[in-house]
This record gives sequence, structure tokens and C-alpha cells, in this order.
Amino acid sequence: METKEKIVLPINLSMNPYTGPWTFSEAGHLLRRCLFGPSFSQVSLAVSNGLDSTVNSLLSTPSFSDPITFSSNESVAPFGTSWVNSVYPSSGTAQTNTQNARNESLAAWTMNRIHHQSFSIHEKMCLFWHNHFANEATSDARATFDYFRLIQTFALGNFKQFAKEMTINPCMLVFLNGTLNNKYSPNENFSRELLELFTIGKGPQIGEGDYTNYTEHDIAQGAKILTGWVVQDFLSTSVSNTSSVFMPELHDTTDKTLSTKFGNASIPNANENEYSNYIDVVFEQLETAKFICRKIYRWLVNYELTDIVESTVIAEMADTLFSNNYEILPVLDQLLKSEHFYDISVRGSIIKNPIEFIYSVFNSTLSDFNYDLETNSTIYLQCYWLNMALGMNYLAPPSVGGWTAYYQEPTFSKLWANSSYIKLRFDFVSYVTLWGGINVNGNQFQVNHLTFLNQLSNPSDATQIIEDMALLFCPKGLDETKKIVLKTLLLNGLPDFEWTLQYNEYLADPNNPTFSDPIKQRIALVLDQLFKQPEFQTI
Amino acid sequence: MKRRTFVKNVSFSSITIPFMFNNLKWEAVQNKLFDYSRSAEDRVLILIRLNGGNDGLNTLIPLDQYDNLMIQRPNVLIPQGFIIPITDTNGLHPSMTGVASMFNDGKVSVIQNVGYPEQNRSHFRSLDIWSYGSTNQEISTGWMGRYLDSVYPGYPENYPNEENPDPFAISMGYEVSTTCQGVMSNFSHTVPNPHDDINVGNGTALNDGTYYGSHMEYLSTIIAQTNAYGTRVKQAADQGNSTSSLYDMNNPLSVHMSYIAKMISGGLKTKIYVVNINGFDTHAEQVDSSDTTVGNHAKLLKTLSDAVKSFQDDIKLQGLEHRVVGMTFSEFGRQIASNASFGTDHGDAAPLFLFGTCISSQIIGPNPVISDQIQNQAGLNMQIDFRDVYASVIKDWFGVDENAVQSLFDYPVNFYTVLQGCSAGINEEIKKKSLAAIVYPNPCVNTAHLKFSCLNEKVQIILNDSYGKTIKELFSKELKAGVHHVELETKSLSEGTYFVIINKKSKNEEIKIIKRNH
Repeated sequence: METKEKIVLPINLSMNPYTGPWTFSEAGHLLRRCLFGPSFSQVSLAVSNGLDSTVNSLLSTPSFSDPITFSSNESVAPFGTSWVNSVYPSSGTAQTNTQNARNESLAAWTMNRIHHQSFSIHEKMCLFWHNHFANEATSDARATFDYFRLIQTFALGNFKQFAKEMTINPCMLVFLNGTLNNKYSPNENFSRELLELFTIGKGPQIGEGDYTNYTEHDIAQGAKILTGWVVQDFLSTSVSNTSSVFMPELHDTTDKTLSTKFGNASIPNANENEYSNYIDVVFEQLETAKFICRKIYRWLVNYELTDIVESTVIAEMADTLFSNNYEILPVLDQLLKSEHFYDISVRGSIIKNPIEFIYSVFNSTLSDFNYDLETNSTIYLQCYWLNMALGMNYLAPPSVGGWTAYYQEPTFSKLWANSSYIKLRFDFVSYVTLWGGINVNGNQFQVNHLTFLNQLSNPSDATQIIEDMALLFCPKGLDETKKIVLKTLLLNGLPDFEWTLQYNEYLADPNNPTFSDPIKQRIALVLDQLFKQPEFQTI
Repeated sequence: MKRRTFVKNVSFSSITIPFMFNNLKWEAVQNKLFDYSRSAEDRVLILIRLNGGNDGLNTLIPLDQYDNLMIQRPNVLIPQGFIIPITDTNGLHPSMTGVASMFNDGKVSVIQNVGYPEQNRSHFRSLDIWSYGSTNQEISTGWMGRYLDSVYPGYPENYPNEENPDPFAISMGYEVSTTCQGVMSNFSHTVPNPHDDINVGNGTALNDGTYYGSHMEYLSTIIAQTNAYGTRVKQAADQGNSTSSLYDMNNPLSVHMSYIAKMISGGLKTKIYVVNINGFDTHAEQVDSSDTTVGNHAKLLKTLSDAVKSFQDDIKLQGLEHRVVGMTFSEFGRQIASNASFGTDHGDAAPLFLFGTCISSQIIGPNPVISDQIQNQAGLNMQIDFRDVYASVIKDWFGVDENAVQSLFDYPVNFYTVLQGCSAGINEEIKKKSLAAIVYPNPCVNTAHLKFSCLNEKVQIILNDSYGKTIKELFSKELKAGVHHVELETKSLSEGTYFVIINKKSKNEEIKIIKRNH
């Protein structure tokens, strides 16, 4: 009926430590996958520090900061302070305004975190887990914050414990109707997604209500197991935090028995500990380890899970995860240091998601801004809306399955770059390279052309500038023709030495626009072109 | 209430329940002939995706089941007096006034209980199944994508071209539609606003044979197509009209439908438009706790109904009505019984709506039978396979011959005359072909479907074991000529080989079936 596009290549599937060449190419690959837009100097440093030391740094967990009040719509927490433990005002309008202010503060907070990421895979994994335990903002921003703080806490932690905490997280209980699930009327929503999307994953349907790894019976039993959890203090005017609470009278106290998929495990009534016992059983299945390893693989390596990758790479990752009792770090350490990760066939194999795209423009060019708190936050908010327009709004994945680009076969990350999104991406590029950037009351955020230029290996050499750009921004570099086109654009048709002269004049008097403006303009034109090339769209 | 008769090993659903495509309603459709001699070339199909799983039982309400519905779903059921009756036994949700008036004008048909065997209740998998038109795990092309691939092989290489300057399919908004996924590329060009100026430069890069290379090729194509198709789309939309005064421009679906009207009226040759409404996953607060006629589901159905109604009005005013039909789809219906959260959980079959001027308004297929007992997790049984509907739409609307249509599906399709009034006039006599009896799926697990044809004659069906010993007479009755479809419950059969024997005067038939436990 159809033939499928299959890419068959000799591919190194070994999970043994990579010992091959460690150049800008390999280090760039690692950093593009682990960071949102590495800079030229970060990649250079990674080259000199070596693979092991670089991966070890990338696996560190940074300290966390809270979202900050920046809007006068907030009527409880003072301007410039954290609101995450602040009550809500009682009046309807003030409450709505405060909630809006806090949601905007959350949105700005996520973009600020990514913009100022530390040298760690942590932010990349926070987005991974947000996509995995997909959930949208609730009516109380404090609960939404708690959900994101939980993700920050466990992003590089223990997956099993993470799943347990997530199961009774107030935001999640509300989102998947867990609070409506009680012994009088089980609501299956959370129970289904817990198995299908969060833990063991759905296999092929091999019979009525039989999804290989679990059955409809398990979903019904799971719903009973999870009964009794409700949330409290949403929008409270006196209590500073939301919380979940177990109500024994709403809990189904019958003994539950799972299907043969879980060895007919019996889950005796254990009230508020029952969900934890149930999750323990689910995590006894190696399939649960495999399921999350496949997702990690898709996030960091390649979307296509061939049979051979499944039986080698995924199997080894799952063994590592399982034997380390679901600690995530050993798996990431193994993967990022493996021969397979650096195989040429998986370089550039992912089309950037919108956040990766936008921040590979800003972060790789060391572009930053520093105005007052309200202006800064409003700029972050603009970046947030921009990502939303491009199809990826932090705080609101399209469904509980996360963003479609991470599961929809056969297209996967190609979904980020259809004709509508390509147009928006390219419009964005022109705005931030040529046309003044994001503008908040006259305060601009745009690509910082000169800072970017000055970090390159030899900014006075036109050929080297183009070489550096190709290496930094394009997973497999650029072909010679494109380099010539970009260099011609840089030089505006003049010989190479003219650039060197111009650059040295600028260096001698860096604050004189007579010298800096022409340099800036040429770099802007080159970046505008480069960021619109297919090569730049991948990591 | 009529109960299914369960027999010892095999339960056989009563012949009155399974759908027969030569029953009276079908004859009524067949007798209404329209004289549209235009070729299928300029025909447009609009697919409306109801994302999340629409609650069919609160959309098209089987009035003759009302008492039992009240037992099953008292907290979400629409009060009887508010339901808009459209036939003696069916009524629409009160917010669907537009669709009701179209039904009365002969422009809406509803096919009841559409689904597929062994419903998958995952949103993601079931949406794929509906988009792919296949339940096979190996398939990842869309049903429309396969159709377009068969007509325009090799796409996207060398497209657009002089002969085909326009996108073959358009997905309104920012996301391509999986229904249009072809072997090499997705056929749907995304259009958030057709009036947008488009120029995305001329980036190209070569395919080096790796994953990266496939992205280079893809991105180069998308960049080129975005420019070329974007220009054509804008031209058409700028030249086209949207004339109806009924559109509510605060209704996002109406906005998209009016854009579609403009593109069609402006001469764009696009064949398929896909639009989407989110929000049908109504686990909670489907209805207001104090008034079941309002709430989230009511708003969604109003959005749908108003948009379709104003669009139909628009294309009628512009004389384009005969060129367009539309169809809704959703990944599943919802469970018969409601939950305590004034909502409904994932279920099985549901009604599917078709609209267009050449449709003689019909409720196709019998009403579901609702039990007076709440059965945990029960959904509506599938009576009509969605792939049969797809196949029939391709055949009648795009004028594709049956064999070619069949080759698009990995399932033996039945052709129903859902759009026969619009039949593209390929001089194919609609005849009741003598069809060799088939059982599918085979091997079967819990249920199997038997399809056979007969003349006006007595038909006996028996089930034998592999030694030829009769286990059970399944059926013996006088039947009308035509193709008949019956469902066999095979759950309680032990694993092994069996034979279904069809005895009839015109031709005796024997089919081997294999029963597996999973």
C-alpha cells in the first residue's frame, strides 16, 4: 500500500565511551543538544576542557530562583519580590488581575531562565519533563509554579519518585480531573494518562482493551487506586500555598487487582500510600524504563527509533536506568559520552523547536539587555508570545501528550517548520537582526552583532568569521558556495583586507559609530541570511 | 429495550441491528438523482476535525432511547423539550440550530455509530487511526495523503508546476493535517490567513542521505513552496469573495470557513481543506451543573453549527454550492454513562456529519440501543466503519473507481452511497455487485464481521469447527437482495480454525476463519 522513506546507514550503535576526535564539531554537537544556543566561546572552552569534563559540568543542577512580581496588577506581593507564597486578594477584579500578573510573571520567568541558562542540560531537561508530564497553567499560579518547581527539582533526579510526586501534584490533580475521581464516580482521565503517557506507555493494541503493556482493566483499577485526592486553598485569601490532601471518605477501599500485564499484582487498600504502591508496581516493569529512555533518546539524539536502535541503544539505556533505580543522571551520562551520540548519522537530525530556534539566535550571539525590572520582564513576555506564535508555549502544551513534534510519525520535528511557521521564523530573524528587534517602550532587544563578532576566533579575518559562523550555527557546516555568498555579503564586494582595516579602526575606537556602524550592519546582513538557511534550522 | 441474543458459543447480533446498505433509507438516497455533470476536477472536500472526542450522544440524540439515556447520563442529558427534533427518533443539541435548518433543507446527513472494531481509547492513537484511515500500526500516511499520492506521484518533487500551481490541500492555521500525510511529504499547506504577504527568501540545501539531509531537502522544499503556494493563495483570497451576513467573526471556525469560501471563489484549485476545533475532551464540566443545555459542549457545537451554516449560506450566494461537501470527524465518541463531574469519559463510536447541497438529508444507520443498566466504561458499538465512509467519499466525490479506492486501504472497504447524489458521473453504474463473502478481521479475536451478498432469498449461516461439525446455526432468514453485514461475537470461542458456511440458492459459500485469544 505504501513505501516508507527509510534511511539506512552504517551507524555506530555502541554505548561505549566515545574516544574519537574532540573538535569544535563534536563539542558543538554536544552543546547544541544540551543548551539553548551555545556561544562560540562556550564551544571553544568545551573543546579545551575535553568531553568528560564538559559532560560532567553539563550534568550539574543549578540553583533556582523564583518568579518575581513586575506588574502593578499584582496586589499582594510587593513589586520586585517573589509571589509564590503570597495569598490572593478577595475581590473578584483584584483576584483576576493578580492571577494574570502571576501568570505573566511565570511566562517571563521561563524565558529568563532559558535566556540566562547556566552551563547545564538542566533547562533542556525541564522542557523535556514539561513535555512529558504535560500540564497547563491552573487557576492558581502558585499551584502552577509548584508544578514547575517540581520539574526543576527532579529534572536530573529520580524518575520514579518524580512520577509519584507528580501524581499528587495539585496542578496535575486539577488538570487531569484527579480531584473529581472518587469512589462514587471514578474519573479515568488521570489513570489512563499515567499509564499511557507518563510511565509504562501504550504498546500496540493486541486485543479488545489490551494495549500490550496494560489493559482497560488496569485503567479502571488505577482510577480506583487514585481516588480520594483533592486540592485545597486554590486562590486562598489566607493560606499561602495550595496543597493536595487525601480524603479517606472519598477513597475506594476495595482491594484492587491488576491484569496479567502486572503479574495480577494485588494492590490492597493503603489509603494515602496506595498510589505510591501502585506506581512501585508499574516501575517494576522494565518497559517503564524503556518508555522514558525512548523519549529521552528522541529529545537528545534522533526522532527515529529503528529496530536496531531499540535493541541496542534503548535496551542499554533502559538497563542503566533500571539498575540505578530510575536515577536519570547515569543514563544521561552514559548517553552523552557514548560513541552513538557522536555518530555522524545523528548530527543535525533534529529540526529546532521554537524555543531552541529563538534562543539559538539570542544566546549563541550573546545578546542580552538590561533595563528596569518591568521592561526586562515585558521583553521576556514578548519572547514568550513569540514562541507561542511559533507553536510552543511554555505553560500550555497543546495536549497531555505534549507537543506533537515529539510523537507524530512520520514527520516529528518537521512539524515545527511548515509554511506558516517558516514565514514567522524568518520574519523574526529579520526583526532581530536588521530591524531593531523586540521593542518595549523604546527599549530594544536585538541581536548584539558586535559582542557576537568580538568573541569569534579572529574577527579581523573575513574568511575566518564565516568559518566560525558555519561551525557554530550549522551542525554540518556550510558548503563552499554558501560560504562565498555570505562572505561576499560581509565584504560588500570589497577585498578581504578592507574588512581587516575596518575592523581594526573599530577596535581602536570602539565607541565611535563611524567605525562600528558599518561593521555592525555587515554582520547583521550575514546573520539575517544565515539564520534563514535550512542548515541553521537543525541541531 | 431490545437485548442482544447471546447464544452458546457465538453471539450474533440481531439482523435488525447491523447495518444493511440496501435498506429503505439507502433506496431513498439512490432514487434522488442530481444532474451535476461537472467533472470531479473542481470539487472541494472540507474536513472538520472535532479534536478531543465528541460526545455523540449529546450531539445527535436518539429520542427513542431517551428514558434509558436518563438512567445512564442524568447529569449531562439535554431535557427532552430542548432537543431539536429532526426526525421522529432523532434530535439535535439545542445549540445546533444551524445544522438543524440545513438538515431540513436537505443539506446534512448524519451517519450514526461510526467507528472501527476494537476501539482504541487513547486520543493520540485513535486520532492517528482516524487520520491514517487504518488501524495498522505500520501505517503512517493519511487517507487523503494516499489518495493524493496516487494522483500526483512523486510529490513534492517538481511541485508546484504549471499544471498544478496550487496546493492540493490546505490546513487552516499553523499545523499540517495528518490526514494529508503522503509517503514523501505532507500535502497540506498551512494557511493562518490567506491574505498574508509571503516571501521567505530562497534558502536551499542538498540532501546528503542522512537524517540531516532529509531535513535539508524538506526545508528547501518548504521554503520554495511557501513562496509559490503563498502567492497563489493570496491572489485567490484577494480576488475571492465571502458574502454571507451570517458569519460571526468572533467564531474562529467561521473565520476559517469564510477564508475557505474566499479561496474557492477566487479560483484556487485546492481540493481539500482541513479545519480544526479543539476542546471536545469533556471529562468535566461538559455541561453547566445547573443547566445541561449550556456549558462547554454547547459552545463547541454552536461554534461548529454556526460556522457550517454561514459557510453554506456563503457558497450558496456565490453559486459554488455544488462544488463543496464537508465532513466532520473525531477520534472517538464518549462513554454512554456520564461521570460525576458533569462530563463523559473516552468512549467508542459516534455520529459523523456530512454537509453539502447534493446530500439528501438522512440519518444513516439505526439508532444505538441504550441499556437500562449502567455498564462500566461502556461506549457505543460501532455499526459503520469509518474507512467505509472515507472510501465512499473518495469514490463518489472525487470519482475514483472502486478498485483504485480499495488500494488506498488495507481493509476490505464497503461502498455506501453517502454522497451518491453528488456522484461525479464517471459513468459507473451503481450496481449491486455480487460480492464474495468475507470475514474480517481474520484472524479474529473478540468480534468478526461477515459481509456477503444475496438475492431475494433465504439465507442460512452456520458455524462449523475444523472437522466440519456444526457448532451453531447462526442465522436463517429471508433477506432482501443486496450486501449484508453482520457482526459475530467470537470472544467465547476457543482458539482454532472454524468455517462460516453461507447456504443460499444463488451460491453457497464457505469461509475459513481463525480465532485467536489476542
